[in-house]
Amino acid sequence: MTLDFSWLLDPLYQKWLLRGIGTTMLLSLLGMVLMFVIGIAGAALLHLKVRFLQSPVTIFVELFRNTPPLVQLFFLYFMLSEIGLTLTDPVTGGRIPLFTGFTCVVLSLGLYNGAIAVEIIRSGLLAVPAQTVEGARSLGYSRLQTFRYVELPIGLRMSIPPMTSNIVSLIKTSSQAVLVAVADIMYGATQIMLETFRNLEVMLLIWVIYLAIASLAVLVVRRIAAAFRIPGYGS
Amino acid sequence: MNAELKLFALGTVGVTLVLAALLVTVYGAETGRVLQALAARTPLLLSGSPDFSRFEGGFAANIVISIWAMAIAAVAGTALGVGMISQSFLIRTPSVLVMNVLRNSPWLVVLYAMLYLLPFEIEAFGSVFSFSPMIKAIIGLALPVTANVAEVFRGGVEAVPTGQWESARSLGYRRLQILRRVVVPQAIQFMTPNLMTTYAMLFIGTSLVVVTGADDVLSVARTVIASDGAHYATAIYLYVLFLFFIFCFPIAILTRWLEQRVRVRQ
Repeated sequence: MTLDFSWLLDPLYQKWLLRGIGTTMLLSLLGMVLMFVIGIAGAALLHLKVRFLQSPVTIFVELFRNTPPLVQLFFLYFMLSEIGLTLTDPVTGGRIPLFTGFTCVVLSLGLYNGAIAVEIIRSGLLAVPAQTVEGARSLGYSRLQTFRYVELPIGLRMSIPPMTSNIVSLIKTSSQAVLVAVADIMYGATQIMLETFRNLEVMLLIWVIYLAIASLAVLVVRRIAAAFRIPGYGS
Repeated sequence: MNAELKLFALGTVGVTLVLAALLVTVYGAETGRVLQALAARTPLLLSGSPDFSRFEGGFAANIVISIWAMAIAAVAGTALGVGMISQSFLIRTPSVLVMNVLRNSPWLVVLYAMLYLLPFEIEAFGSVFSFSPMIKAIIGLALPVTANVAEVFRGGVEAVPTGQWESARSLGYRRLQILRRVVVPQAIQFMTPNLMTTYAMLFIGTSLVVVTGADDVLSVARTVIASDGAHYATAIYLYVLFLFFIFCFPIAILTRWLEQRVRVRQ
């Protein structure tokens, strides 16, 4: 079995791959933003024991954690097109669907990994030493102020190791975008495979690219963690 | 167990209500007809046959694939895990490398790669083995899970106090003997919850085998949508979400309960 990578020299294929890498990174970044918003909001509601909201948050977390992100994606994709929300494009005047495949992928990534992030951040909050919290309370911080200025900053730092693997999982999951025809890196790969029939070589290259993106993400998170380190809390 | 039972009740009832509410919101007055259509298609989605006569496709195929993949990953992952805690540099470094590569690769890409990497059939021992889409799916899923199992194995072994190693050593056990007779029996209680989480993750991952052409619940769902009309797509996907939830949620609850028990015993 010989591997032939000569197709990589074709500028068209290079363009597809590079554009795909860009889309994948954008998807993952937007997904991460949504993940953090959902994770922090959900963990705050559970941690502060907000009445009447705890049960809905728990149900939300369990629903999205225990079902496949792929089915969530298909469901969102079909339900939102069934409801049929559209926007009027100000430039052309045509009606474009509000929820494109891209939006649905970002939503499903944010919801699935966000539900996991809720649990991660919550256990980070629980790992904040009780003395620190009591100290803040005795200095006159209100319950909300304690949460905002003491518990959340320390809790987020405590949750960095599991959050790193959650971020890697988000990047890996973003590859399902191809199944709703978003032009991410897998999409470029399938196009190239259709034209060159070099299936194995293309897939091996994509595998390496994903490994590189995931490793890059881990490195960036490590840098950020080191920059925001508080000595004495977490590693 | 009490807190977990409460959570189980809340989760099951709550999620069922949420999904039912979504169904009613999308279909409105048509809900009754849609539910009838779903009921008619239930045997096909669950077993891949219209009357439960065979269990070769649909949700049953997901369960079969997940069990085989987990069995392969358990064996391979344990071997990889033993390699990762080996004292020899020549075994440890490649094992850690393989584990990291497998753990960081997207499942979808591994599944696609297996489609093309594995031959259509191989000839061995005088007979021909053909790789059906299902076998390719099992191997493709087992690979990344192997890395997870190896990580769980290493974590479990490291959770056992080092004193156990030293005292067994002074009794004259060799390294692999200590692992088998002393450390692993104690580490199993730490590994079980994590292994169950890994299995739940694998089961959620079986939704991806639709790309290999195996006859899993999502490909059956797509066939049903193609024959009944795209109008039913939302209802069918809601139903598939519900099936996965009903299977995975009890595992998650059981895992949490076991974790609590292990923590209390320490």
